Amino acid sequence: MGIVNRAVRNISRRKIRALLVIIALGFSLAIMISVPAGIAANQTATQNLTQNLGNAIAQTEASLNNTIAQTEASINQTLTEVDCSLTPTAPTGFGFSGGNSNFNPSQFGGGNFTPGQFSGGFGGGFTPGEFGAGTFGGGRSSPMNETYYEDVTNITGVSAVAPVLQVSEGHNETVNSPFGGRTFERMVADYIIEGIPLTSDLDGNYSVLPSNITSGRNLQSGDSGVVLLSENNSAYFNVGVGGTVNILGQTFTVIGIHGTSGVSDRQTLYMNLSDAQALTNNTGYVTSLHVFADSAADTTAVASAISSLHPELDVITSQQRLEQLQTLQTNYQTELNSTQTTYETQVQAAQTTMSQTNSQAFEEIIVAVAATSLITLFVMLYTVRERTKEIGTLKAIGFSNGTVMSQFMLEGILLSLLAGAVAVVISLVAAPFLTSVLLPSVSSSVNLFGSNVNVLRFANSGTITPSASATAAVTTSPEIMLLGFAAAIAIGAIGSLYPAWRAARTRPAEAMRYE
Amino acid sequence: MSETVLKVENVSKNYALGKRGVQALSNLSLEVKKGEFIAIMGPSGSGKTTLLNVLGCIDKPTSGKVLLDSIDVANMPESQLYKIRRNKIGFVFQSFNLLPYLNARENVELPMENNGKSKPERSARAKELLAMVGLSGREEHRPQRLSQGEQQRVAIARALANDPAIVLADEPTGNLDIKNKQEIVKLLANLNLKEGTTIIMVTHDGHVAAHTERIMFLSDGKIGKEKEGMHLAKKNICPFCKNKLQPTDETCPSCGKTVRVKKKPSSGIEKTHESLSKEQNASSQ
Repeated sequence: MGIVNRAVRNISRRKIRALLVIIALGFSLAIMISVPAGIAANQTATQNLTQNLGNAIAQTEASLNNTIAQTEASINQTLTEVDCSLTPTAPTGFGFSGGNSNFNPSQFGGGNFTPGQFSGGFGGGFTPGEFGAGTFGGGRSSPMNETYYEDVTNITGVSAVAPVLQVSEGHNETVNSPFGGRTFERMVADYIIEGIPLTSDLDGNYSVLPSNITSGRNLQSGDSGVVLLSENNSAYFNVGVGGTVNILGQTFTVIGIHGTSGVSDRQTLYMNLSDAQALTNNTGYVTSLHVFADSAADTTAVASAISSLHPELDVITSQQRLEQLQTLQTNYQTELNSTQTTYETQVQAAQTTMSQTNSQAFEEIIVAVAATSLITLFVMLYTVRERTKEIGTLKAIGFSNGTVMSQFMLEGILLSLLAGAVAVVISLVAAPFLTSVLLPSVSSSVNLFGSNVNVLRFANSGTITPSASATAAVTTSPEIMLLGFAAAIAIGAIGSLYPAWRAARTRPAEAMRYE
Repeated sequence: MSETVLKVENVSKNYALGKRGVQALSNLSLEVKKGEFIAIMGPSGSGKTTLLNVLGCIDKPTSGKVLLDSIDVANMPESQLYKIRRNKIGFVFQSFNLLPYLNARENVELPMENNGKSKPERSARAKELLAMVGLSGREEHRPQRLSQGEQQRVAIARALANDPAIVLADEPTGNLDIKNKQEIVKLLANLNLKEGTTIIMVTHDGHVAAHTERIMFLSDGKIGKEKEGMHLAKKNICPFCKNKLQPTDETCPSCGKTVRVKKKPSSGIEKTHESLSKEQNASSQ
């Protein structure tokens, strides 16, 4: 019959009261446990997000530099090339017009492109031959007839001309403007047909055909009725090498599949020029001419000769494309830098929010501690008053002040210990709810990127979604629970200190009080 | 041969009550020998409870000495006093004061806690004491399952737990009906006769007081009159075999058990129940 046993029995004497007190204490303690858990979750969320977004910027920069480098390398391989095409008729609703060298990257950041679609139209489609020539991104150049080909071939310094027909096939899509309530139609390319003259002198000599063949073989002179698909096309048509594919009502055999590289258009399928002309009702027409000069030094002269002969043609040399590429790179870099600045500002804002959250949490914990201590204090004081006669009896039959005091201390501690268990259960179940009520929302405090998020998405082809990790689950860790229990014991002890002292000081003569 | 267990010398107790103090005990002296059974009677406010509290070390006298087993407890600090209460004094209260959430045995074990006894020892002693007060077989019953008389028996057993020098009973029959009253008084008287327990009992009731050997009448904080009770006569008879004893006997010549006989010749006054009751009634009016 030790004091522990008596403390337990005393608590169980008034079961409903004890239960209510334990639940009340439990809620206060649950707040004490949940709030730090919420703080930890906030911190984790902010950290994760900061890290994710930091990585996103780094990855974006790396991927951008990589694309630029690859493109630059491929242009450098074809420094003798001059491309010409007629000013294209812009497809309806398309965000920008082909052939326009004022290629402002911020247009992409504006949100007209979802990453997946964009990568199809742009990521791989950045071939030197097409870029700047007006066939960019599924746009369609005006067809040129074969007189252009002959005129250009006869220009001094021209060693070869590859006429190419490029036709984009796709469907229209209604898009909501991210900047307002407007909607507009946009063409989404499904695949791009590119007809290449498969003559022996062009065979493998110039970078007109893709070089990265992942299965099957490349097109070669004399091929007809066959297509070289991109990996995207292969997935789109659901067909592999050796299979047949129906394109615009005509059947082709898949001869090979090309992979994505800096110079390979992800959505472009290649076929014999005459096949393509027949297929698209463009017999006798091409969309662009790849002109190869005798030497790189001749390209400027060749370009001006073409322009003077046919001023209606858009002519661009490899050298000019390199310059455009540099402008592009600079623009991108500016955009990235601005994102980086925004990111840093937002990280700082998030940290400010975190510290505000911390001080709010601190106040809440103080209130919870005070509430718990006060509940314990008043309940124990009431208990002591109620049992004055009993305490007097214990004193009269020889209990020391110390024993009486420890008995009541223990009772208070036991109460809060039970409350601690209740608190653990409550916080296991309701910590996220309690936290959402008690602390500022995590997700709103870490919206780091604002509208610039589109830039990131664009450069990373939609693989990174910085806002997705903004909420971290509030989990009450074992450490926090142990801490909660320790706090419960401490609060129980503090709260019952005065009542227990009062109990110990009860005069033994109180035993004589007769009701 | 009787030794003095309790000696009270010139004890006064003043309470501050408003501007005028109240003197509950005034210069009271008293001597109790080992094995005595004493009743203290007196009207309300005569200082009975105060006296009992002073004797029981739960209240301190304003002046004077209280020698319990030759130790002056009047000025002892609380840090030592609780041990005196635990080991030298047994309390029996008017309303029993059992802890309701403990059973009979556990209630009796309470004073033995922290007293160097092992749990089985305490338990055995508690059972022995409960048997002594006639509650064998009821050890595990909680107070609410016991009659009032039985509850007071448990309380008496608890008072005897540490074999105290003196048992102080404050109106032990005050809350009981006539039948239980008789039983409790007889129990106390028997304990006194057979175990030699020294008992001081405060009571209003002349019938109850008559069972003791010495009755002190308290008025205005002093012992006014002192009379002999009927219990004294029983001290000439062996409580075990009813053999007639001589004042010089220490053991019963018939059964050989230790007995407590009247040591000094009677002072002459022997009163009956009736005359005591009349006197009590008169004094309380």
